[in-house]
Amino acid sequence: MKKNIHIDDFTRPGGQVTELDPAELDPLPPPYDKIDKPSIRKLTEEQRKRMDASLDGIVAIGLTPPKTPEEEKAFIDKFLAGIKKLFSADDNWTFLQPLVHTLEYCVKCQICSDACPVYISSGRQDIYRPTMRPELFRRIVSKYIKKEHPFLRKIKDSDIDLNWQTLARLGELAYRCTLCRRCAQVCPLGCDNALISREIRKVFSQQMGIAPKELHEKGSVQQLRVGSSTGMTPAALKNILEFAEEEIEEKTGRKIKIPVDKKGADILLIHNAGEFLAWPENLEAFAIILDAAGVDWTLSTEIAGYDSVNYGVWYDDFQFARVVIRQSQAAKSLGVRKISFGECGHAHKAGIVVADRVLTGDLIIPRESSLPMLEEIVMSGRIKLDPGRNNFPVTLHDPCNMVRLMGIVEPQRRILRKICPQFREMTPHGVENYCCGGGSGFAITQSTNFPDWRSAVSGRMKMKQILEAFQDVPGAEVKKYVCAPCSNCKGQFRDMFEYYGVWEKSGILYGGLVELIVNAMADLKKPFIQWEWH
Amino acid sequence: MPQLEIGGTTYEVDEDGFLQELDKWGRGFAQGYAAVEGIEGELTEDHWKLIDYIRDYYAQFGIAPMIRKMCKDTGFDLKRIYALFPSGPAKGACKLAGLSKPTGCV
Repeated sequence: MKKNIHIDDFTRPGGQVTELDPAELDPLPPPYDKIDKPSIRKLTEEQRKRMDASLDGIVAIGLTPPKTPEEEKAFIDKFLAGIKKLFSADDNWTFLQPLVHTLEYCVKCQICSDACPVYISSGRQDIYRPTMRPELFRRIVSKYIKKEHPFLRKIKDSDIDLNWQTLARLGELAYRCTLCRRCAQVCPLGCDNALISREIRKVFSQQMGIAPKELHEKGSVQQLRVGSSTGMTPAALKNILEFAEEEIEEKTGRKIKIPVDKKGADILLIHNAGEFLAWPENLEAFAIILDAAGVDWTLSTEIAGYDSVNYGVWYDDFQFARVVIRQSQAAKSLGVRKISFGECGHAHKAGIVVADRVLTGDLIIPRESSLPMLEEIVMSGRIKLDPGRNNFPVTLHDPCNMVRLMGIVEPQRRILRKICPQFREMTPHGVENYCCGGGSGFAITQSTNFPDWRSAVSGRMKMKQILEAFQDVPGAEVKKYVCAPCSNCKGQFRDMFEYYGVWEKSGILYGGLVELIVNAMADLKKPFIQWEWH
Repeated sequence: MPQLEIGGTTYEVDEDGFLQELDKWGRGFAQGYAAVEGIEGELTEDHWKLIDYIRDYYAQFGIAPMIRKMCKDTGFDLKRIYALFPSGPAKGACKLAGLSKPTGCV
């Protein structure tokens, strides 16, 4: 255990900067204080030869070491060329201003450290401080980009020895931050240290072609090639929609035709395609509600038009722009009035907020969250709802991108207060929420021991919050529901709940918001929520 | 790329043991892998029913079937699938059926 980390620890070849000790992680309430398995798997010797794990023993990207000094030099030069571009308005006009602001104004007061769930949950490991990555980054800029005088660097304590190992560790470290931006929220000077994580990821991807496979090769590249990061083709989508229509009829007795490629519809609804495969009840519930409320809507079968994900928002500006443009083109070709995003947080950020920096001319189509639309439907009385049907404990998870970033705080709450008599808030909640631990692509990063890390460390604070929200009914005999209106958060909860055995120990199910609305529909013969699919 | 030897044949797999060369799959792969996945003895008719179903769906649509559809079409409930493949439908059954690891937000 090594807690006081110095910059030299990152630049020293060989060894590991920090070894996580499960006993030192922030404690969870019983029975989760004792866990009967090693909390984080160790890499095998063979894996260690192929993949660098010299930061903390965890692998998100797992770089292969260079074989010759020439290779090492080429690697470093390439990285520095990428860093240089970050400071050019031509290359980085999107993020130059907040980047410079953060680098110049941070006084390392550490208020952000106390706000960071990864840092606190890890047992306050220095390497995870939100200021650690920016400090490494700042030193690299000082020495290699600004080329400050050695004497100046000495009095500013801003020196660094750049070698392959330093960069391998920095690249991994950029994937220990969930980009939840709680740090940015509390910073008295308006610095955004999470942005630095993303800018580092961006240099690795755009300049060096290095990114987690799940995000790039199997993610945005696959989405642009076949239509969805899940690999789902339009033909597969149609097969799945037929299945969903059958299920709707079985569950509700209603025959609903899910509208597809309907020209001139009022709304193009874009779901995260993960819903189609892993949580079809979510898209079914949307279809039931919109049908009952008489909304004129459609899905699209165009590339990216049926998958709202935009992983570029986590690591690559080019991939981001490509996907945003395809989604807007899908809407344009259908002639819809607006795009509505389903229950997916990062798609909200990408498609509604950041897209403003990319879209021009007739690709600027109104884009909004589906949550206010759902609120309007629920509050209008157009659907008859019986809260008695949701008479079980419910708490609400706030997806960072919808809530902290976009300020969509109340619509989902007004719905839950109306239809869930046992609704209770987590502490803290709303814009001060904690990330699920799966943000910025972590929930889909399924390789080697990274899933262990995100259940044990980055999701730990949320795990604690959920258990505390239900502390009056802790036992598995009382079935409870965490409402998480975001596919990514649901993926994290699924994996984390399995990791800790949450269903068996505490009887907690996770799911979306629309499922609770349909479950409350007064004229349905049977409950919509099926607890057996925990 | 890690490798895995089953019955004298070497297969390229990913870090979590999913087959990377999909065309190399054969029934011997599934049977040989069963022991690694905690399935004792010969694969039964029910194991093959699920494996064949997954492979047929994959051949037609290029992805693994939804778990709910898998249950409905084979008549096995989730409990039964876990009994057959202790690691579950995605990490167990699909792995033996030679599919890649699921991608995207699933």
